[in-house]
Amino acid sequence: MKDFEMRESGQDKKLRAKVGVYVCECGPNIAGKVDLDKILADLSELDDYQDVELVVKKYGFLCSGPGKEFLEEEIKSNGFTHLVVGACSPRDHDSTFMSICEKTDLNPYLYRIINIREHCTWVIDDKEKATEKAFSYIRGGIARVLRQSELFEKPLDINPDVLVIGGGISGMEAALSLSGEDRRVFLVEKTDRLGGVSIDLSGLLPGQGEVVKKKMESVTEDKNIRLFLNTRVETVIGFLGNFEIELVSKENAETTEIMAGAIVVATGSELFEPANSDNYSYSESDEVYTSISIEKMFSGEGEAKLRSGMKPSSVALIHCVGREEKNYCSGICCSYMMKLAGFFKNQSPDIQVTEFYRDLCLPQKDDQERYNEAEADGVTFIRIKDISTKGTDVSFEKMNGEKGEQSFDMVVLAPAMEPSADTEELADLLTVPLDESGFFQEVHKMTNPVGTSTDGVFIVGTAHGPKGVSDSMQFARASAGQILTRLIPGEKLIPEVKVTEILEAYCTGCGNCLDVCVYGAIYSDDSRGISVVNEAVCRGCGNCFGSCPSGALRTKHFTNTQLYREVDEALR
Amino acid sequence: MLMRRYHLMSSITIDTSASRKIKELLKFLLESGKIDAAVTMRKIPENNSYDLALITNASNLDEAVPVVPVMTVNAGQVLSSISTSGKKMAVVLKPCELRAFVELVKREQGSFENLLTISHTCGGVFPLELVEKGQIEELLPKYEKNVSKGEVPANTRDTCRACEHFIPMNADITVSVAGECESGKGCMMYFNTEKAEKFTEGFAGERSEQKFDPSVLQKTLDARLAEKEKLFSSTKKDGPGLDGLLDLFGKCVGCHGCSNVCPICYCLLCDFESANFDYNLPYFEEHLSRRGALRLPPDTIFFHLGRLTHMSFSCVGCGMCSDVCPVGIPVAAVFKKTGEKTAAIFDYVPGRDVEESIPVMVYKEEELSDIG
Amino acid sequence: MTDTERKGAVLPVAKEPGDTVLDFLRMAMTKEAADAVILPMKVPSGDSYAWILMNDISLLDDAVPIVPTMPVQGAKALRSLTRKGPGNLKVIAVMRPCEIRAAMELSKLGQVHSENLILATYDCPGAVQLQKYVDDPAGGDERFSGMLKKGNPDDSAKSVCHYCENFSIFDSDIHFGYLGLSEKEVLLVPGSGKGTEFLEELGLDLKKDLSSWEKGIEEIRADRVKTRKNSFEETEIQLRDIDGLLSVFANCIGCHNCQSACPICYCRLCYFDSETAEQDPDALITAAEKRGGISLPVDRIMFHTGRMAHMSLSCVSCGQCSDACPVSIPVADVFSYVADQTQNTFEYIAGLNDGDPLPLRQFRKAELPGVHELVKDADAEVPSHE
Repeated sequence: MKDFEMRESGQDKKLRAKVGVYVCECGPNIAGKVDLDKILADLSELDDYQDVELVVKKYGFLCSGPGKEFLEEEIKSNGFTHLVVGACSPRDHDSTFMSICEKTDLNPYLYRIINIREHCTWVIDDKEKATEKAFSYIRGGIARVLRQSELFEKPLDINPDVLVIGGGISGMEAALSLSGEDRRVFLVEKTDRLGGVSIDLSGLLPGQGEVVKKKMESVTEDKNIRLFLNTRVETVIGFLGNFEIELVSKENAETTEIMAGAIVVATGSELFEPANSDNYSYSESDEVYTSISIEKMFSGEGEAKLRSGMKPSSVALIHCVGREEKNYCSGICCSYMMKLAGFFKNQSPDIQVTEFYRDLCLPQKDDQERYNEAEADGVTFIRIKDISTKGTDVSFEKMNGEKGEQSFDMVVLAPAMEPSADTEELADLLTVPLDESGFFQEVHKMTNPVGTSTDGVFIVGTAHGPKGVSDSMQFARASAGQILTRLIPGEKLIPEVKVTEILEAYCTGCGNCLDVCVYGAIYSDDSRGISVVNEAVCRGCGNCFGSCPSGALRTKHFTNTQLYREVDEALR
Repeated sequence: MLMRRYHLMSSITIDTSASRKIKELLKFLLESGKIDAAVTMRKIPENNSYDLALITNASNLDEAVPVVPVMTVNAGQVLSSISTSGKKMAVVLKPCELRAFVELVKREQGSFENLLTISHTCGGVFPLELVEKGQIEELLPKYEKNVSKGEVPANTRDTCRACEHFIPMNADITVSVAGECESGKGCMMYFNTEKAEKFTEGFAGERSEQKFDPSVLQKTLDARLAEKEKLFSSTKKDGPGLDGLLDLFGKCVGCHGCSNVCPICYCLLCDFESANFDYNLPYFEEHLSRRGALRLPPDTIFFHLGRLTHMSFSCVGCGMCSDVCPVGIPVAAVFKKTGEKTAAIFDYVPGRDVEESIPVMVYKEEELSDIG
Repeated sequence: MTDTERKGAVLPVAKEPGDTVLDFLRMAMTKEAADAVILPMKVPSGDSYAWILMNDISLLDDAVPIVPTMPVQGAKALRSLTRKGPGNLKVIAVMRPCEIRAAMELSKLGQVHSENLILATYDCPGAVQLQKYVDDPAGGDERFSGMLKKGNPDDSAKSVCHYCENFSIFDSDIHFGYLGLSEKEVLLVPGSGKGTEFLEELGLDLKKDLSSWEKGIEEIRADRVKTRKNSFEETEIQLRDIDGLLSVFANCIGCHNCQSACPICYCRLCYFDSETAEQDPDALITAAEKRGGISLPVDRIMFHTGRMAHMSLSCVSCGQCSDACPVSIPVADVFSYVADQTQNTFEYIAGLNDGDPLPLRQFRKAELPGVHELVKDADAEVPSHE
């Protein structure tokens, strides 16, 4: 009778780990501030782990050429299963050492850099204490690295084409900057013509109106730009490099499906309705106009006339309309109001032009000069703290409390720039948040003004916030720059590896994670009754992990176990 | 008695109570640095409660009550998560807790390597209800009297009363709590292994070679076997089929408390709680159309049958399951009986020898020829 | 909570309200307005009840809709039936208000899909503690009859029942009202659009004025409110500081029965049982060394506070946790006390049909404006230790 054990004893199958622990001297930065030999000796004597072999060494500058070669050779010849490097900040050299691992058989995610420079030697003067802390940190790092798992990059094919929503000056500029033989642009415009608002603007710079017309011609002639007029965006699904978009024609309700790798939102803005402010009351027959109507008159007929056909002999240009209500300055109105003052002066040198303003905003290069000129030309600038109009009768209170009343032939209001009416709907479609004023929210004012929290969706022009034509074009070029460098035809995109995954065995599909994901990276798989993470969209922020009561989510490379063990060991 | 034959290294006569002597031993082991921690029962006077404790400072041993008829948790279950530490520990276990741990070690759920096991002959434990009511203190005198006379205390867990494995000679150190005391020989502490000798070098002076004499506990054993007879015959199911099971488990509310406290049930996620037992509506609709009615949530009996299949032959009859059942189902009696009879087919006794393989993990070319 | 403009139907009264309910269900099934019903039936051993989904009308003869005790929280039954989707059958479930409220919370958590369910509740005078009932079913039945007559729980009932304010109509689809009525009537009141439609389809005349019944309910509710205040004051004193907490949970053995019995705890693997929450043995002993000793199994209090953090916003105070505890810890009283506060902080009412979305899943820019004040005050109150 033969008896066989169904399996060998588990003992024989245990993994033996061999961990390389390399401490960089970093010249005097580390070696001069801690007792390195003591650290190495203590680490070598660690008997915390059964079945784990530690190899502990030090080196001068691991980030130097010879240093990197040394490390690569050490990994290869020792056959390390894990690597810990005690050195500087990950910001400096995490990628350096990861690249070294990539040259060997050691998966770069089975390595960890431990910061004993910025966190220890650069902040602790006492050598003994610094030594103690550095030792504890590295000890924690060893515990952590032993719980890390291999992770692999999953390169994705991408589509280099771009969808531009909006055919105004920003959209056209973006389209022209992007289009090429190997990259098509789909330019979608909801009205029946290109040009947006800018087409109506009379020149600030000589021939500005022609700039817009020239752009329109270029766009129409560019064979790599496919133009959709009278078209809406219906649905958008996907992520950077792989968007699937459905367009609907407003004329015949026909749908077109397109694929693109990036989306540029150039949907422009609208003007605040002065009637929504308590300060301005006028009827249709009054000679009260918004600035854009006057621009149209000047750019169209070359003159701004009253309804009677006469030119006005006095005009009030009122700045900051709606500024209090909206609680932001639109930044461009003072500039163009001075331009309009100049036009009025041109058409009637004796005209009385009075500009009422709360604050003057003159950020453009030649604004100051134009202001000086306007004053010299006889334009009256009055700073007010309160103003209201009834028809063309203006009542105001100056900063010093002096009140005044004046009647004018014509009143021109400079309303604040507002988000356009379909901003909210589009924001929903693209899962892009809006800022406090209702414009599309950029990632960061300074470091990333054109990006949004949905990677691959960019905002340009006044859809982002109030600005003039030249700034709008800058934004358009900036977004094109980002797309040109990130979505390279023929090259794959490597999404973030350290993302969150959901363990199917534990997930009950309650949707907590879905609701708190700001990137829209989690979706519900109803057939399995669970939630699933789209790893291409996930940024590994961990919001979802915090929301799951059962711990069914694991953020790769930052699991609870890894973090707990590191802390436990470091604090021993 | 089905304990494997023990090898006596040495023994000492206990000059005080068993509990106090073990406490002395633990104190010695901690103070001498031979162990890093001791695991033992403890009394918390402020709350009049008991718990199992891991004690690292000898001064904290004042609260320890190593021998007490209380089981808040099966210590074998707890050991499975702490025994893999590199630190040395002395653990005081009741016989069934030791046996449970043996079964767990066979399943890679723990290790004896750094443990010094101390066990004692056991009179059984009181149900948690009495612990919670704070009645242990007043019940102790009568309990000790029963035990020393070889009688079975009436108000302990039913599986305790029916337990024949109450002499744990497979521990490193075994303490007899009674029996010998009655016969005038005094309680004894037996050092059964080399490990025991090494750890206790320097403890308690003169050692003798006095062996354990099973005959002194014969009376107790007979009483226990009689109780087992009674228990098994009351836990009867008339014939095969569902009816008897429905009577027994019908009022089960599916809390799975029995499995949670069972030391042998070590699975992180029980199959019955996993997605495998989530049903689509078509399943319910089909059952309704065939049978006209269906219990919700389903699989009440199935869970118990599954658990019986998975672990009953490793059941050590500790009785935690019955104690936590919110509706008082005699789970322990059913599992003990089923387990014993199944294990007997393979000549297997759970917990007697850590080298003995679990029957379903061994392939025998010729097996179970008498079945079918 | 009651909509004073609501009108109801009067049902012909059989012997007991429970029989009236059964008659109604028979009628609904005969008219094919429902394919099946979920009702309690006695288990073979005769000392408890189980939820039975039935489409065989004859089985209603043995069902007990207004059931003396609560062995399994009804929301758990609804969860096992509809977790994966609503299915094709139209089912009427008759349960206590707290059971349906728990089902509403589970709905928000994707664990119950109630599209094809008609959720029916009835006036609840309380429920006999499970262990008391199982030990003496006949006695339990008697006590429950007494409760029905008085409209209030007695000392055999779960402690939470004594201060339950949600024992009558809220917004379940349909509700059977009978407590506090002077004449022997059973009112059938719709609580939702779906319920109204359902009753109208059955040809019921929803014309009866409810004000006298509602008045009676309000009187009972006033009692409950008072008891609630007292109970919470007691609990607050018991739980004062860490010693209080340790004392209340002193006998806890970490069996997790409370979590298993809780209808809201829907996780397959409780976080506190998972590998993530497992403590490294060496780290554990190091922690023990700092204090000289540590209680085993570890993290039992952490389990309770963690469970509070995870589910108190949805707690409906059904009391199953206390019933399931083998060492009689008043879990339900503690959790009800905490849930009352956490729900109030977010102005969230657990258990409503069309209720607010779960607070922790919503981002509101202007939220909890008073928190930094609360934190400052809390800091001021904390006595210095050491």
